[in-house]
Amino acid sequence: MTVSIQFWSYFRDLTGTAVDTLEVAEGSTVGTVLDALYCRYPALQPLRASTLVAVGVEYADPQQVLRANEEVSLFPPVQGG
Amino acid sequence: MKRSITLTGAPIDEAALVASRTPSGSAGAVVCFSGCVRGREADRRIEAIDYEAFPAMVHRQFEAIFDAAEQRWPLESVEVVHRTGRVATGEPSLWIRVTSPHRAEALAACGWIIDEMKRVVPIWKRPLWGAGRGG
Repeated sequence: MTVSIQFWSYFRDLTGTAVDTLEVAEGSTVGTVLDALYCRYPALQPLRASTLVAVGVEYADPQQVLRANEEVSLFPPVQGG
Repeated sequence: MKRSITLTGAPIDEAALVASRTPSGSAGAVVCFSGCVRGREADRRIEAIDYEAFPAMVHRQFEAIFDAAEQRWPLESVEVVHRTGRVATGEPSLWIRVTSPHRAEALAACGWIIDEMKRVVPIWKRPLWGAGRGG
């Protein structure tokens, strides 16, 4: 299945793109997608511990199972205000 | 509880927002907060900050914050305006108004909403550093 990826803030600079797509097996989790992304974009790897992940507009855990065409967003700690 | 969330690339007109309040006979407390861009961070000078937001998620996360705030305090209204784009030093990047029957709830809720925003609402900033040291 296809999963859409969005990068926000300086993660766009680190990856060189705002969007991407990944082909993953049915039943894949957020963690599976993250592992694939850290292989594709090694510059994100050192920031793994502080990276925030959302599916759609909700924060997601690595264990969350994804459905086809869901959108996974990766971004650094937020800084509103 | 009345609620609103506005993300805007236009300057925040604090006077117009304050004047926009609908009088209420039951809201004894009206707390307005403006968050403005500081001209320095540590000892570095800042000319402006570029704000970026993930709009759909900003709205969803603020809604969740408002839901939780409404459970904690008897609020009548919460309005949030947050800038996107470039905001010059001294200009507001955030404006919040909380109304409630009594001041303690409005003051507490306003502070809590800002704390929660800084924890979960996907907005980021990039400072435009000025030459020389801050002062």
